[in-house]
Amino acid sequence: MALSRHCLAFALEAGAHKARITLTKSLMNLTGVLNGEVDKVALALDRSLQLQLFVDGRFGTFSSNRLEQNELEAFIRESIDTVRMLEADACRQLPAPERLVKNARTGMELGLYDPAYESLTSEERRSLALESCYFGQAKAREETSWKLISEEGEYSDSVFDSLTLDSQGLEARHSETSFEIGYESTVEDAEGNRFSSYWWDASPKLQALQWKGCAEKACLRAAAQIGPKEIPGGKYTLIVDSECASKLLTPVLNALGGSSLQQKNSFLTDSLGKKLFPECLTVMDLPLTQGDTGCRLFDSEGVATRERAIIDKGVVNTYFLNTYISNKMGMEPTVEDATRVKVLPVGGCKTREDVLRKAGDGILVTGFNGGNSNSATGNFSYGIEGFLVKEGKIVHPVREMLITGNFLSLWGNLLAAAEDARPCLSKLIPTLAFTNVDFSA
Amino acid sequence: MIGTKEYYFNIFQVDQPLLDSLVEEALRSGGSYSDLYFENTSYGSLLLRDGAVTSGGCHQDFGVGVRVLSGEKTGYAYSESTAREHMMACARAAAQITDTPVEVSPYGTASPRRGEPNPAADRYPMQQPWREMPMSGFLPFLQKLEQDVRRRDGRIVKVIANLAFQVSDILMYNSARELKWDTRPMGSVSLSVVFQQGSQVENKSTSRSFRCGAEMLTDALIGEMASEVVKGVDERFAARRPKGGQMPVVMGAGASGILLHEAMGHAFEADFNRKGTSIFSDKMGCRICAKGISILDDGTLPGNRGTLNYDDEGVPGQKTYMVEDGVLTSYLHDRISAAHYGVRPTGNGRRESFRYAPLPRMRATYMESGTAKADDLIAEVQKGIFVDEFSNGQVQIGEGDFTFYVKSGFLIENGRLGAPVKDINIIGNGPAALADIRGVADDLIIDPGAWTCGKEQSVPVSCGIPTVLIGSLTVGGE
Repeated sequence: MALSRHCLAFALEAGAHKARITLTKSLMNLTGVLNGEVDKVALALDRSLQLQLFVDGRFGTFSSNRLEQNELEAFIRESIDTVRMLEADACRQLPAPERLVKNARTGMELGLYDPAYESLTSEERRSLALESCYFGQAKAREETSWKLISEEGEYSDSVFDSLTLDSQGLEARHSETSFEIGYESTVEDAEGNRFSSYWWDASPKLQALQWKGCAEKACLRAAAQIGPKEIPGGKYTLIVDSECASKLLTPVLNALGGSSLQQKNSFLTDSLGKKLFPECLTVMDLPLTQGDTGCRLFDSEGVATRERAIIDKGVVNTYFLNTYISNKMGMEPTVEDATRVKVLPVGGCKTREDVLRKAGDGILVTGFNGGNSNSATGNFSYGIEGFLVKEGKIVHPVREMLITGNFLSLWGNLLAAAEDARPCLSKLIPTLAFTNVDFSA
Repeated sequence: MIGTKEYYFNIFQVDQPLLDSLVEEALRSGGSYSDLYFENTSYGSLLLRDGAVTSGGCHQDFGVGVRVLSGEKTGYAYSESTAREHMMACARAAAQITDTPVEVSPYGTASPRRGEPNPAADRYPMQQPWREMPMSGFLPFLQKLEQDVRRRDGRIVKVIANLAFQVSDILMYNSARELKWDTRPMGSVSLSVVFQQGSQVENKSTSRSFRCGAEMLTDALIGEMASEVVKGVDERFAARRPKGGQMPVVMGAGASGILLHEAMGHAFEADFNRKGTSIFSDKMGCRICAKGISILDDGTLPGNRGTLNYDDEGVPGQKTYMVEDGVLTSYLHDRISAAHYGVRPTGNGRRESFRYAPLPRMRATYMESGTAKADDLIAEVQKGIFVDEFSNGQVQIGEGDFTFYVKSGFLIENGRLGAPVKDINIIGNGPAALADIRGVADDLIIDPGAWTCGKEQSVPVSCGIPTVLIGSLTVGGE
């Protein structure tokens, strides 16, 4: 706190007219396992100071991890000189004071810090990593139709702390812990074909981390892909597992972002207040949920977040405009990005099985393999892996298939959204189903 | 750019006895090898948007990573301070990996060049060092670039031009008493343009990235990038999605090298093979594609984005043939995998920064030219697709399934280029695609764009290929 305050004061003394300073600190411990043995340990301690400087109507961003006071002072002086070389831009301003967060004083307000972190020992971390392995059990199993070739996993925990100050009195702190486990497994079938998959979990609270069964699930997900069959391309109902469904919503959220809109590089230009999505679709931003992964009281400008509908019954309800972009566009500013996105249920489905039943026949996508989208047109094309579905039941795996379409028409064909998004996902997007999607094979 | 030993010792405030103390401390619990990786990186960036350079900045990143190997197990810790007590604490943290002492170190004896770095052999000397140039000197370049682009096409509604540069001072030392140092520059210019025709909007982009100084910012580069970004705009507006399905694909020379990176390169990285996850794990010495095809990964191309004087383990940069005349001859090795396979490291141990332990990674991956003519390869195809502009790719190592996203291309009908296509993903299987290469043209191009590989960590790479005909891939479409 003292260092940040000193830097802020020093920047103003040295010629900055306004400034924002963010000091971040994080510590991470990682234990990696390979085939049932500890393979890697790592310790990571990071500190960084980021400066946004407003000088003579000009603006620049700077950062350094050399935090000795004399070095920082020299760095700030040089940074101010650099800003003076840029061209002026009247749109560069700090947020209006009334928009700034007022209740982020301790960093603990959202309940994302777990004191259990402080007492964890190296031995406990090692045990967590080893006890979650499935390698030994997989090797001992009777089944001969496949074998586990490789199992690689990581357990990690971290603590993150940030403090943001600005020259109009902002003081905002955010602290959180994170506990994560993830496994990737490769299996081989009787013909020597290999299949890989993963499973993971994460939580701000150690107690809530679902570490048991993580490696087993990765292994079984890999084995479930054995025996893929080719099916003809054509139009199918697309069911997307919650685990990967964000791939289909994230480009929509990006298209509502200020940078894309201001640069006319968004397929949702001039969409505010328009009903471009089906009545059944509501997408919320819930940044204030106590103890929930990814929640934040404020964005990087220190602007207070709030709960709101992003898409409300099919209507685009908000853009994401930071102070700069909003000034350039002549529009009211919002927060700079969505924080904790949630798609509300559609079609009376709670689980993936409900969605499969509702879809009847189609293709269940459990992972994407590459692909991209065109931000200006909303056209997309993605590689997929998954399963053929008949009468609501999984029949066999498919592979080397692609889906192609346009996001507006895709979401226009939304059939169902379940309520099965895992809390560890950064976006709470459940299993989804869309009719009439082009598959190439 | 290679400085003197004293320059690096001074930056990191170390001397030889301290380096020795650190590696000794790291091995005190019984590890078989340890190394130190010091980094001091300066970044700078300028952004032109809406006709003015109104955003820019500088960033500093400084620290040291300590690695301890115990057999094939890795302990790693880093410090953002090079104060003795902080580095010693890192050495002890990394040493936690050592539960079983290993007597023999196979890692330190593998470097073919044990002497001091030779400035005369520098692969990326800077004529105009970035750190010595005032930022204000770069503004006219971006302004001229924007003006040149805008005058070429009246449909342009937005231009974003970005200049980013970085210079990294690197000092490496290991328990075999090998001391290496290097200064690595990188300059990158990217250009993104939005066009509007009636109500239709399209975007195009291009980039250039080289290991060199600010001498890269020439009028010739402006003309080249401006010309490239407006090329094919009419076709982009006219382009449609093709009917999807399996078909022959002609990969245009240059950026199509993403095929090699995704479909083959990753699967040749030795960590995936050491762990048995790669589809090429048991293919060493086997024929995997037609005679006459050679694929290599090269860290020696002067000024190339993927080039290294030394990799991030202090192993000299080199040129590695992965496939020679159709036969798999080498994986890409770091010190761990080289020791596992009993071969010399190939100079592919790379890391994003001092925050990461090195992994086997590609540098500049390309296929050597063949003997066919590009037009003849197109003429062989009755119904297929020609692709030459890409945005990204991905691979599933175990299965070998790869994809890449095509920003633009053309249908091939009866041996001739036809209607333009855009925004399609192509998917295939690495070994199958390699085996299905029907022809290689004589027109190798190494793409000069700012390619970045994201395997666990981001590292700069480049790729290249001559025009190649593949018998069948799955093309996304309607």
